[in-house]
Amino acid sequence: MSRDATAGVLERLGAVELGVWQVPLGLLAVAVLLRPVVSHDLMLGYPQVATSFLIWMIIVASFNLLMGYTGLISFGHAMFMGIGTYSVAIALSSFAVPFLVAAPLGILLSAGVAYLVGRLIAHKGEIYFAMLTLAFAKSAHFVANYNPGGLTGGTTGLADGTMPAWIETSRGFTYVALGGFRIDWYWAVAAVFVVGMLLLWQLVRSPFGRTLVAVRENEALARAMGVDVRRYKVWAFTFAAAFAALGGVLLEINNQGATLSELSIVTSGNIIIMAVLGGANYFFGPLAGVFVWMFVEEYLADFHTLVLPLTEVPLARIELAGVLVYWQFFLGLLFVVAVLVSPREGILGLLKTVLGRLSARIRGESE
Amino acid sequence: MSTSSSRTLGLDRLSAGGAAVWGAIALLLLVALAVEPGLFVDQFVGGLVYGMTLVLIALGLSIILGLLGIVNFAHGALFMLGAYFTYQLMALWGLPFWVALVVAPLLVGLVGVLMERLVLQWLYDEPPLAGLLAAFGIALMIQEATRAIWGDTPLSVATPAVLAQSADLAVTTVARIRLFSVVVAALVVLGVYLLIERTDFGLSVRAGVQDREMAGFLGIDMPRRFVLMFFLGAVIAGIGGVLQGTAVGMSPTMGQQYIIITFVVVVVGGIGSLFGSVVAGLLIGEAVFLTPLVLRSLADVTGVGALAVPGIGGLVPYLVMILVLLVRPRGLYGQEGFME
Repeated sequence: MSRDATAGVLERLGAVELGVWQVPLGLLAVAVLLRPVVSHDLMLGYPQVATSFLIWMIIVASFNLLMGYTGLISFGHAMFMGIGTYSVAIALSSFAVPFLVAAPLGILLSAGVAYLVGRLIAHKGEIYFAMLTLAFAKSAHFVANYNPGGLTGGTTGLADGTMPAWIETSRGFTYVALGGFRIDWYWAVAAVFVVGMLLLWQLVRSPFGRTLVAVRENEALARAMGVDVRRYKVWAFTFAAAFAALGGVLLEINNQGATLSELSIVTSGNIIIMAVLGGANYFFGPLAGVFVWMFVEEYLADFHTLVLPLTEVPLARIELAGVLVYWQFFLGLLFVVAVLVSPREGILGLLKTVLGRLSARIRGESE
Repeated sequence: MSTSSSRTLGLDRLSAGGAAVWGAIALLLLVALAVEPGLFVDQFVGGLVYGMTLVLIALGLSIILGLLGIVNFAHGALFMLGAYFTYQLMALWGLPFWVALVVAPLLVGLVGVLMERLVLQWLYDEPPLAGLLAAFGIALMIQEATRAIWGDTPLSVATPAVLAQSADLAVTTVARIRLFSVVVAALVVLGVYLLIERTDFGLSVRAGVQDREMAGFLGIDMPRRFVLMFFLGAVIAGIGGVLQGTAVGMSPTMGQQYIIITFVVVVVGGIGSLFGSVVAGLLIGEAVFLTPLVLRSLADVTGVGALAVPGIGGLVPYLVMILVLLVRPRGLYGQEGFME
């Protein structure tokens, strides 16, 4: 119902029927528009953070392959992202392996670990699976903290010698230097983002992805239809880890090294929050979730006075510093309300419902 | 929850492999006891106190999970509130410890009831994820409210004079408040056991755990029992909070810190089994405190320094969980077909 309603809105707005191009164009639009939107004066006002937005969108979307499509809840998704980050950081700092060799290796390593862990635990019940992923993530964190052979840098993480030579930074901006050209780091990430997300999109709309949805909707029925449920779960877990590691690899350059927080449980928790916040039922849900979460976090970091309605024409000034320190309180409230309304829909689902109602209202239909 | 408490430890069914494992563990503990007796007893008591704290949180968590199918992530926040209410009552209002020990858990119970009535009661028939997420939201709200009211810095209260002294245990001395905590926790566990196993109320609750709908058809007012059990679970977590707050102190992150380990305890014990939660709580509490000591003693005896892995204590609960779930997929005393 909501799909038709949205299509209706698009028609109203004079847009053409987008069909199969909807998702590729949507991804391109996100990649192109994100930085101008984020750096607008009324928004955050500085562009650097837009790159992190894109990277986290890949990571959270990879998680949603598990939660949204397969119905597997992992409490340890940050581990697979962190394996990517740490692999590259270790390869560059300790073994002087080129980045373009280290990155695929990191992604393969992450996928390999996920495959083995998945073989061990993917068939467990929902809560057992979640708790076991938590346990493995804790173990990975412990190993990185333990600093075996001085490879992982312990609590301080890795920073020295973790940047490839072709990355240049000047005045807070990062560039990729190729021969005589300098490409803004944002556009390099945007290219990886679009390609990576398209791959993920192809994956979820392939027979493999459709089978995952069948497993989510009714595992017993899927099994009765001849689906090897355990195998599909293992491969979903593996692919999700590979895409998470892709994000992790980009994060290594973006954050200039690897830190323990990339492996922490808090990060895994944040990934879940962002996916749920955006709407696990939608391919673009995680993207919306990342945008809202990171935007709020950045916005409130240097936000003290609410001026209504605009800075130029102030009618009211509200001092919010004292309240906004505790913004997570309102996040919690938002969470409770969102779950009570509909647990899998999130912000995107809410938006679609509102748009659908609006378009129905405009067309003069009664509901 | 129902049959497990009458189940034996299963020693009669112990396989040769199991016997070897238990024998090896016993041997390692004896080595540690021989090498450092004072430290061993010290750590043993530490593990007991920690384990009992875990048990107090896990009991409520297990009751709510078993009865209502809700993964109550906010239970750690209730535990934390117990500690902060103690601070409010003792440090700010100047009331004696014994008043706080009774009043603070009741207040926590009220918060729990509020939580159940306002939010969680609407999620009983939703998939477990919905309850988990809502409870997570509540946990965030409670944590931020705590920060706003009592501040970020860790706080503590003065231990009452009677419990402030040390008790002499021959090889070492232990603060009386810690032994007091263990005794109170043991009494609470006993009380819960008697309530669930020996009263008509407990019987109807057990019926509800097995088949909520059928119990309702037979005329048992299930919603009222849900509220009561939620209240009870919150009160127990509150008692844990009072004891922890008095013995150690309180900080706004303590709820978060404890809730994850407590989930581990519930899962290791077997979801739906109160007896399992108690066993697993003590097991993990002791494992966290004794494993580093055992490894260190082993390193001393064998001369292999690499055996004493620093910071291994924090990882032990998770290793125990991985091992237990791989050998027994439903935890130590979990029931078949429960939350699967």
